[in-house]
Amino acid sequence: MSSIYLVLPVLLPIVGGALMPLMHLPDKRRNLFLEILVIVTSVLALLSVYRRPEEGFILFHLTGNLDFALRLDGLGCVFTCLIAILWPLATLYAFEYMRHEERTTSFFAFYTMTYGVTLGIAMAENLVTMYLFYELLTLVSVYLVMHPMTKKAIRASRIYLYYSIGGAAFAFISLVFIIIYGNTTDFILGGVMDAARTGGHTQLMLCVYLMAFWGFGVKAAVFPFQGWLPKASVAPTPVTALLHAVAVVKSGAFAVMRLTYYCFGADFIRGSWAHFAVMTIAMLSIIYGSTMAVKETHFKRRLAFSTISNLSYILLAVSMMSPLGLLAGMSHLVFHAVMKIGSFFSAGAVLHQSGKEYVDELDGLAYRMPFVFTVFTICALSLVGIPGFAGFISKWNIASAAMETGEHFPYAYAAVAVLLYSALMTAVYMLTAAIRAWFPNKGYDVKSNEGITDPNWEMKLPLGLFAAAVLVFGLYSEPLMRLLRAVAAGSL
Amino acid sequence: MNGDFELFYAVFFPFAAAFLCYLSGRVHKMLRDRLLQLFVILEMALMAFAAFSCFQKGMLEFAWNGFCMQGLYLKMDGFRLLYGCIAAFMWMMTGIFSREYFAHYRNRNRYYFFYLLTLGATVGVFLSGDFYTTFIFFEIMSLTSYVWVVHDEKPAAMKAGEIYLAIAIVGGLVMLMGLFLLQDAAGTLRMSELHDAVLSVPADRQWQIYAAGGCMLFGFGAKAGMFPLHVWLPKAHPVAPAPASALLSGILTKTGVFGVLVVSAEMFRYDPQWGKVVLYLGVITMFGGALLAVFSIDLKRTLACSSMSQIGFILVGAGMMELLGQENALAVRGTILHMVNHSMIKLILFMAAGVIYMNLHKLNLNDIRGFGKNKPLLKGMFLMGALSIGGIPGWSGYVSKTLLHESIVEYAAELVAHGEPALRIHIIEWIFLITGGMTIAYMIKLFIAVFIEEHPDRQKEFDGKKGYMNPESIFAILVPTVILVCMGFFPYLTMNRAADLAQGFLHGEAPAHAVHYFSLGNLKGALISLAIGALVYFGFIRKFLVGKDEKERQVYLDVWPTWLDLEDLLYRPTLHKAAIMSAACICRDIDQLYLTRKVLRALLETAAFLGRICDHLMDGILLFFRSTTHKSRTEKHVYLIGTRASRTLGRILDNFTALLNRTVCRKKPIEHSFVLMFAEWEDVMHKTNRLISVSLSFGLMLAAVGLAMTLVYLLWW
Repeated sequence: MSSIYLVLPVLLPIVGGALMPLMHLPDKRRNLFLEILVIVTSVLALLSVYRRPEEGFILFHLTGNLDFALRLDGLGCVFTCLIAILWPLATLYAFEYMRHEERTTSFFAFYTMTYGVTLGIAMAENLVTMYLFYELLTLVSVYLVMHPMTKKAIRASRIYLYYSIGGAAFAFISLVFIIIYGNTTDFILGGVMDAARTGGHTQLMLCVYLMAFWGFGVKAAVFPFQGWLPKASVAPTPVTALLHAVAVVKSGAFAVMRLTYYCFGADFIRGSWAHFAVMTIAMLSIIYGSTMAVKETHFKRRLAFSTISNLSYILLAVSMMSPLGLLAGMSHLVFHAVMKIGSFFSAGAVLHQSGKEYVDELDGLAYRMPFVFTVFTICALSLVGIPGFAGFISKWNIASAAMETGEHFPYAYAAVAVLLYSALMTAVYMLTAAIRAWFPNKGYDVKSNEGITDPNWEMKLPLGLFAAAVLVFGLYSEPLMRLLRAVAAGSL
Repeated sequence: MNGDFELFYAVFFPFAAAFLCYLSGRVHKMLRDRLLQLFVILEMALMAFAAFSCFQKGMLEFAWNGFCMQGLYLKMDGFRLLYGCIAAFMWMMTGIFSREYFAHYRNRNRYYFFYLLTLGATVGVFLSGDFYTTFIFFEIMSLTSYVWVVHDEKPAAMKAGEIYLAIAIVGGLVMLMGLFLLQDAAGTLRMSELHDAVLSVPADRQWQIYAAGGCMLFGFGAKAGMFPLHVWLPKAHPVAPAPASALLSGILTKTGVFGVLVVSAEMFRYDPQWGKVVLYLGVITMFGGALLAVFSIDLKRTLACSSMSQIGFILVGAGMMELLGQENALAVRGTILHMVNHSMIKLILFMAAGVIYMNLHKLNLNDIRGFGKNKPLLKGMFLMGALSIGGIPGWSGYVSKTLLHESIVEYAAELVAHGEPALRIHIIEWIFLITGGMTIAYMIKLFIAVFIEEHPDRQKEFDGKKGYMNPESIFAILVPTVILVCMGFFPYLTMNRAADLAQGFLHGEAPAHAVHYFSLGNLKGALISLAIGALVYFGFIRKFLVGKDEKERQVYLDVWPTWLDLEDLLYRPTLHKAAIMSAACICRDIDQLYLTRKVLRALLETAAFLGRICDHLMDGILLFFRSTTHKSRTEKHVYLIGTRASRTLGRILDNFTALLNRTVCRKKPIEHSFVLMFAEWEDVMHKTNRLISVSLSFGLMLAAVGLAMTLVYLLWW
């Protein structure tokens, strides 16, 4: 397959989404058009992963040796597949969810454009391209947060914008330094640092790394730049689920992976003070996120806090600075996406069907919505890390990576303790919700649950598939792990 | 997937059966109830089949690489065979019993679903060959059995479920930490390789092995009900439905014990330090459980506390097994046999309690008093269990307790032979005997209350109850009773063989000389316990725990202080207040005045300050220019009138006059403006022109001029 086809999955949704408001289609036909557009894009994306072109495709030259170029490597493939598989399902869910909302056309236009931009991040060949798509992602997704157009939503979107743009500014600094001190801006596993040039500037480069970690980490809601994420949960559920559990935040984590393993190189950072610092940041985020989630009673915000802590699992794995760490990070990237989107969609289904937003209103709801709560419980158990569910696999990987790193960097042992603390907190905040729904105290308010049912197939299908994926990966994930191992080793 | 598939079927059949059972329940209830019984019997058959081929091959193994990533490894040897079969047997009996017991319950589908899932997970734990597999099934078991505890959904059940789940999850996590440490240090989790792997760990990392062992002891101990993690046990067992309590008590706690035994036998084989830890914890558990049981006035709670106490006995055995080193045959055999005994006994006793509960829906001794007075079958079955657990010679409990007691005595003798102080071990021996006595006392208390005494008001009603249990339930309780009695009466035929079969698992060897269970020396211990039991019952329970109510009727008193509860005293406050609350408070503070906001504000303010400075700077420059080069004129000339010509000319003249004013005419400046003057002139001219051009005379004059010019042309050209 020629590399020029890489452009298609990126451009198609962007163009299609941009054109959509001009077409003035009635809702039903618009949805059909959209779903076809999204599925075609996904098929193209998966096809380009399947028949991966070795060469990159240079869209245009910016200046000097800076190109705007697309290429698929191992890590990119993983992220591309993840997005390509989740997006059509989420779109399907969004149709039903958004049915009674206003301004749906513009919403879906931006929603679809975000798809293309996210694929762009996944397929970017070099740091410049990724940075550009990264900025673009902020711009197209800001509308999605703003969509309810309430005062709160506008405020949240403003905060989101500030944080993201601010973060990108830091990221830009690192871009400049890598251009100066690196051989190239292309992503090469092991880093592109030119030893001759960085010779006397190691400390400076470590500072730059830390800055960039924070900069790209803003999207991954890393402490102390996590404030935007819980606030952004005012957005419609498909957005909070897909963007704030998968696309946007995972782009942040993905970017940090790129930065750490493909730009600076794990060897460059390992054992330095920056290594210590990023590990601490990740641990703090985990503790912060999971503890706040326990205190939070708003269902979706609780999940948002949970996202903060889970994203930092990925960053914690990344901060192990070893192939095993990268493997663990990728596996949590994939598994967390599936289980978090599942739990967000369950929360969304509850909100959509019953209008209940708070955890303490869930009493006995599982009997009204057995399907949704079965899925939610599976996702919850997976998030806690119960063996037999996907979450356990990735957490085991992270902890193994930590133990391995701990042998020459004892600070990593603390990571295991943090993981376990967080697992306990996760159990508290996820299972209390599930338990309330399944085992209400005798004499709960039955009346408030009357007339509530499971949603229709458009919502159930994605939910069912996510739950199935969580179980299948939990029980047998060897093929996937083999793949990820190959990616982490650089042989793919 | 390779190896002996018998194990695979035995473990995974119940998981499949659970779904089948659930689906059939959606169709028809009767069908589901029968299917359930069929499934548990089938599972027993599968297990028997596996056991049979295990006898033939000596050992079964099954590996499934990649299952849950690290792979599944199942194994069947003597002990695993024994306990796998016991698990299947207990599920079979409670399954048969359940149909009648649950006849009027709600949510039975849910219960049966989790009932079968737990069966699969429990069998999985007992057949696991590496700790990873153990952990997977252990966690599944913990969670699925939670549903049993909260099945009633009453507040008490929910509260008990809360603490059950909390301890299960915390225990699971701590255990997981232990597994990480162990794998990191030893490089393997496979039980059969652990001993060598642990020995090869360098000395400077030995701490890691001990830390791992501690974590795993915590995790497994939590499930076993070991002090100080026993708090869930006296709460969760009574609130669960009776068949579930029988399983919780009889077999789920044993999974914890199983773990402790493996850790002791494989990781710390013959390690006296480890042995001491287990021993002391066991002693406290043993005594504490018995103490709680003596004070309890609830039938199932007493049985639950008794379970805790018996687990203590088993842990004492595990501790002795370590302390005795190579010569630990007695302790090993005692430990294993006491586990088996306790499983069977609790199966019988809890199901008997279930019979009472399903008839009366009460468990308080004051309410159920006299229920079994005229029910010889129930009375007989309960009595067998009670005698056995009390360790009365002739019943099975006597055999295992004797072995445990003998192992303590042996260790004391060994210490004395080496000239070391043996005081502590003597104290432990006495605690052991006293606890045995207390066991007898609380069983007498239960038995007398339920089967001897009469209820003050409802005795007639109780006696009138015919068909208080159906043949199925009778069968379910009778079979284990018969087995128990056989075990007790023929210990050499039954129990010795079971011990021979299983002791290899704990690396015990057959004792140098056969133990004569009914020798005088061995009987002595039992008699001492009996005497203590009688003393405690008549001297303490009848005196202090039995009182009179306002109607002067005899009642059992609940004198255990309610505040004395580790859960409320320690765990809830620590977990809730100390851990979660404080962390959450800190996090909230961070959230409210978090760093970014502070930094951002500082940044913005600096920027604003700098901006203001720049702003003023710019203003200053502007002002400077305005006061110098770009100074604005003081007088303003606004010419609204006149044409360009008059304005230009006027302005030139004006400037000229201004120059004159500044130089020549300084004394008498020319005041008027030429622009204005010219404009007025222009205006006047304009007006006059218009007047002239429209007048007749002007026309006539023009005509005349024309005529004159014509004349001139004619004259000269």
